[in-house]
Amino acid sequence: MVNVIDYVPGDTLLHRLNPVTKLGIAAAIIIAIFLADTYPMLLGLLVLTFALGAYAHATSKLVSLLKLLVPLAVVMLLLQTAFVRGGAPVFAWMTTEGLVTGSKACLRLMGVALPLILMLSVTKLNDLANACVEVLHIPYRYAFTFTTALRFVPVFSQEMNAIMEAQTARGVEYDTKNPIRKLQLMLPLCVPLLVSSVGKTDATALAAEQRGFYLRTRESSYKRYPMVGRDVVVLVACAALVVAGALL
Amino acid sequence: MTAREEKPIIEMSHVTFSYDAPAEGGAENSEDAALRDVSLSIGAGEFVGVIGPSGAGKSTLASVMSGAIPHHYHGALYGATLVDGHDTCDVTLTDISQVVGSVLQDIDTQMVASVVEDEMLFGLENFGVPHDQIEGRIAQTLETVGISNLHEREIATLSGGQKQKVAIAAILAMRPRVLVLDEPTAALDPASSTLVFDTLRKVREEGVTVVVIEQKVALLSEYCDRILVMSKGSLVLDGTPREVFSHGDELRRIGVDSPRVARVYNSLAKDGLVSGAPCLTVSEAAEVISGLVQPASKTSCHVASAEEGAREAGFRAGSKHVATPRPHAEGAQPVVSLEDVSFAYPGRTASVDHLDMRVYPGEVVGIVGQNGAGKTTLTKLLNGLLRPASGTVRMAGLDTHEVPTSAIAAHCATLFQNPDYQLCKDTVLEEVAFGLTLQGVDERDARERASAVIEHFGLPADEAPFSLSRGQRQMVALASVVVMEPEVVLLDEPTSGLDYRECMTVMDTVSKMAERGCAVIMVCHDMEVVSDFAERIVVMANGRILDRGGTLEMFSNAKLMQEASVRAPQVIELSEVLARDLSPEFAGISQVSGIVDLTEEMVRRG
Repeated sequence: MVNVIDYVPGDTLLHRLNPVTKLGIAAAIIIAIFLADTYPMLLGLLVLTFALGAYAHATSKLVSLLKLLVPLAVVMLLLQTAFVRGGAPVFAWMTTEGLVTGSKACLRLMGVALPLILMLSVTKLNDLANACVEVLHIPYRYAFTFTTALRFVPVFSQEMNAIMEAQTARGVEYDTKNPIRKLQLMLPLCVPLLVSSVGKTDATALAAEQRGFYLRTRESSYKRYPMVGRDVVVLVACAALVVAGALL
Repeated sequence: MTAREEKPIIEMSHVTFSYDAPAEGGAENSEDAALRDVSLSIGAGEFVGVIGPSGAGKSTLASVMSGAIPHHYHGALYGATLVDGHDTCDVTLTDISQVVGSVLQDIDTQMVASVVEDEMLFGLENFGVPHDQIEGRIAQTLETVGISNLHEREIATLSGGQKQKVAIAAILAMRPRVLVLDEPTAALDPASSTLVFDTLRKVREEGVTVVVIEQKVALLSEYCDRILVMSKGSLVLDGTPREVFSHGDELRRIGVDSPRVARVYNSLAKDGLVSGAPCLTVSEAAEVISGLVQPASKTSCHVASAEEGAREAGFRAGSKHVATPRPHAEGAQPVVSLEDVSFAYPGRTASVDHLDMRVYPGEVVGIVGQNGAGKTTLTKLLNGLLRPASGTVRMAGLDTHEVPTSAIAAHCATLFQNPDYQLCKDTVLEEVAFGLTLQGVDERDARERASAVIEHFGLPADEAPFSLSRGQRQMVALASVVVMEPEVVLLDEPTSGLDYRECMTVMDTVSKMAERGCAVIMVCHDMEVVSDFAERIVVMANGRILDRGGTLEMFSNAKLMQEASVRAPQVIELSEVLARDLSPEFAGISQVSGIVDLTEEMVRRG
């Protein structure tokens, strides 16, 4: 199973940028998405995200995430059309205005999730944490908590899979075609999952402390993350993108 | 011995610990203490192994040495622990960890990075190692552990053995003076386990004291120069491997296995043929037995022709030395059959190709091979969790292509390596009855059958499964398999994480099921268990079945074993050596008692 937030190795400009700058790019695209209100701009930002993804050889990541997002977007579209009832009726309960706000909401949903994933797939989590500590002066323990939480996502999903396989082999119908039935069966498993995750978290805390976690300061990191010329250029471009989003 | 005379690096005196808060009036020596009055001292440069049944307090002992007790786990602690002369209660955990580095049992929780280099950096950065030395230290440590080539690799892409080495290297880079490891080989195959111990030996040669908790007795006896045996929170034996394993009977009573060659020696010693400390390796044992038999066979011509010897060996193989083949009726239909089955995971290289296999009712079949050989994939193909890309899998008459996994479960019960994935109910009774109700057995009937099985295993019916010990949780999982009365039982590493006694309970139960006509298929890394209980084995490597046949025949095929990176059990290795060098009569013996009986017979004849 390919994990959505796994690092994609590479040597493109996007890989070499300071992790903080990459955060800046993601933030700029997301802010622009929220500010923009026309189809060309919304679509343009999505295209920009995919173009960056293609450049960094991370398209497959974006596509696999898109597969998860599309059903969600469809549900959102249906809900929006049900709530926004202005304009001329088009089909059944849907109206022109409902379709317009709904489709824009869908585009925004995708536009928000994709840049973040793109950014995470070209940055090693350790680099992200260390750069945030060095450049943004975030206390290390917060950066560590954040990256550890991200690191645990695939660990827990593997754990959940293992539990479901074991239960299926016992005869619990996780292989049912009915998604609601499946969800009902999954709920009781939250308890064993929670038990094991609390245990794991505790072990992680112990291991980190035994490796000098509390001695760490902002100067500890062996790798340095200076902001260089290209970072400044990219950040200026990001600012321009936000302005463009606000105007268009 | 000289090492112990040096100033000890870890010294424990009368340490008692219980995880519960101290009861009023002091809980010293209370019933539930995890450690009771443990006193020991470990000298600098020793290689110490800790062994004991589950629940004996081994992990607690490691926590006390590494300072996790009292700084991380809370409870009632009595006595004193000195690490490098400082009482662990007076210094911080961070200070202790500069002397004692510990590698946790679950290494996934220990990792902080996604790339090997970053993982190595973490501790060095934190402890403020000057930045101009860091590069050199990492390179040197990776060299010591033997993974220089993994420097830039992503941790997620490493094998279990490589990951374990990274975990060791990450701790070692901080230059601790003591390394404490909690079951570092629990998830590894025999070949990787040996490599990890080779690494530890090298680490020790660099002057680091090594304390390792381990269940694999053969490894401990080969690598350690001192073994501590724990039982019920107390230290019961402490000495060199030879000293410790000469107490074979006592160890067995506690629930600790001995290396098979030591058992051979101890049996011979009991009959007065040899005396002193037992031998620990196959070559030593072969020498001892040759010494006993050789003078006799040289002088007398009584040892008959090779032909006669071989005939006799065949007779032996058919009688008491091998698990007798269970009588599956002539011409019976196989209950499991795989025909030309292939499967590949999407986007990965791992796959299995052209698997053919047939299992008959009442058989115990072992599947052996290295990690990554495709054993787990094979079991998932059998219980329907995976569907073959080509070929057919028939399980109890059902084609797994056509029926859902949850329906196959009525015929095939799986016992997983980790019981925690299987448990989901509030009480043991509900847990055991759960599988039956899923198959449509009515509630009252299910509870009745479950109660009977629970009683048989002596489990507490009303307790929550998660409150039990690891070994007992495995017993609950086993009980829920037994209660189903399935036609096929699949065991995935049934013995890992279990102590000797629990392991025997599992295997005896399974053998009894086989006698009642159930087919048993087990994936197992413990070759001693395989040779004791399986009458047929399937040898796998790189997703293919290399060969299949009688257990003894497969294990005796040195070339095959090498190809599959499997090491035959000690007794079979010993009988091979003896058959080659001493007398063909030893050929085909797979049990300790067989070697002992034959040796005594030959000595008498001589």
